[in-house]
Amino acid sequence: MLLPESIQSLINALERLPGIGPKSASRLAFYLLRATDDVADDLALALANLKKNTAFCEECFNITEAGRERCEICESTRRDGSVICVVEEALDVLALERTGGFQGKYHVLQGVLSPIEGIGPDDLKIKQLIARVARGGVQEVILATNPSMEGDATALYLRQQLEPLGVRVTRLARGLPMGGDLEYADQNTLLRALSGRQEMS
Amino acid sequence: MFLKHLSLTNFRKFTRLDLDLPQGVILLTGGNAQGKTTLLEAIYFLAAFTSFQTHADRQIVNLEEAKKGSLTVTRLVAEFQREKRRHRLEVRLILEPVGVLNGQRLRKEILLDGVKKPAGDVLGQFNAVIFVPQMSQIIEGAPEERRRYLNLALAQSVPAYARVLGEYNQALTQRNALLKALSEGLGGRDQLEVWDEALSRLGAQIILWRIGAIQRIEHLAARVHHELTHGTEILRLAYEPAYDPLPKPNGQLGLRMNTVVDRSHLELDEIQSGFRARLKELRNEEIARGVTTIGPHRDELRFLANDIDLGDYGSRGQIRTALLALKLAEVNWLKERSGEWPVILLDEVMAELDLQRRADLLKYIGGSEQALFTTTDLKLFAPEFVEKAEVWKVESGRVEKA
Ligand SMILES: [Zn+2]
Repeated sequence: MLLPESIQSLINALERLPGIGPKSASRLAFYLLRATDDVADDLALALANLKKNTAFCEECFNITEAGRERCEICESTRRDGSVICVVEEALDVLALERTGGFQGKYHVLQGVLSPIEGIGPDDLKIKQLIARVARGGVQEVILATNPSMEGDATALYLRQQLEPLGVRVTRLARGLPMGGDLEYADQNTLLRALSGRQEMS
Repeated sequence: MFLKHLSLTNFRKFTRLDLDLPQGVILLTGGNAQGKTTLLEAIYFLAAFTSFQTHADRQIVNLEEAKKGSLTVTRLVAEFQREKRRHRLEVRLILEPVGVLNGQRLRKEILLDGVKKPAGDVLGQFNAVIFVPQMSQIIEGAPEERRRYLNLALAQSVPAYARVLGEYNQALTQRNALLKALSEGLGGRDQLEVWDEALSRLGAQIILWRIGAIQRIEHLAARVHHELTHGTEILRLAYEPAYDPLPKPNGQLGLRMNTVVDRSHLELDEIQSGFRARLKELRNEEIARGVTTIGPHRDELRFLANDIDLGDYGSRGQIRTALLALKLAEVNWLKERSGEWPVILLDEVMAELDLQRRADLLKYIGGSEQALFTTTDLKLFAPEFVEKAEVWKVESGRVEKA
């Protein structure tokens, strides 16, 4: 049996999301088909607003409300602009902010180096980071990419790029389990990792 | 260590099997294709989490069940005793349908004492050594066969080996993808260094472990082999790492095979820095070819008897003897490292050996805690040996006391 095109295209769209296989995609699509109108309408509205009402901060590439050039953290005068913490995703900023233990600013790479997926330095916000540091005023860059193989490789690459700028480069301590995501680490582990950060050699 | 209970669900032809096993020798008799070897394969699977036979674990899932298309679970459960403590090890292979087009995906779950764990944390808890006639491929087959043999043996005895090897392969895949892109003129070369770093750090660790393991296994195997051949042959295991941390003497293109190379003094740091430096030297060539040309994924291991390469020139008898020596060395090596006898699994070995070697074999494994033999012919064993053993009959996937 061939599915009506509208259902098939929804299934295809859902399948492209991370963590959703063909089976879950079909299940979700048929659920939405059967559910009351407001369930689908709410979802459609939320999706439409997602892009319309948000934007990326032009300084650190964290998520911010549409219409703002810079996010709250970048604009805050109480945050220490001499320390930049580099993370993979905006969710990592959230995780670190929850600990309340970091008073500097952030830089969101929006991914990690992964040749298999065709992701190179130009696909990440690396040039923008170098430019930020080159403008001066930054004393330390904390590399807080995940302790995965790709996270480590990205950190090493960044260190090599930052070294000529004469800035202190540190790496989040190894309190995090290998393969564990920052996003899921508990607050105490994150705090320990922050305070135990080490010079990258 | 020894198995006290084994239960199988949907493992090849065993749709359901529950067995209590005694300590000592168990003889599995029965005709061909009745499930004797499958039983050994299942026990080995609980030690290695992969089959000795095939790279695709999918094939061990019971076909009739899998064909029905719905979710199929193959389950292997071992209750075993180690250092007087009883443990329960469970491996689940879950074949689940994906998508609308009859796709299937295989998922592996491992539980030790009821707790789900990553394979790397459980490998080495239950050890087994298997000897199957077709294993002559280790000596005669392609280099992959020897690397697979090394990997399986090391994974059981070095706790971190499987994890580091997995990470090495991940770094290798990333690096090859980058080399491929660079060969097509995409991306910047400055990225290579970070993958060289990962590859050489993980690769050096694997090389170091392989040096140690091969040296020890060689020592143990040579001793057994010396006895099996009544002192007429000297067995050597020559490790030929694709990145060789020992620089070759000037002007010599390749060392002659019968030159003994001692790499035991090498340290991790020097292997890594040498490996990294060599990658740098090969950079242009590797970019042109779009692939990583050195490292543990291309290592070779040769078996030599009196300096003759058995893979190329060994007679059937010589290969059989060398293999037996190798397997007995593996048993001793695992015992040295874990302090416990592994469970010994021997498939149709007696028919392949002459009277003297049968006696030698039984002598070597005499002290083990548990050994399972399969045979189509009980007469190959001495009557007094059969007397003391537990004899079972395997017939179309069922096991009964004979
Ligand atoms: Zn910002």
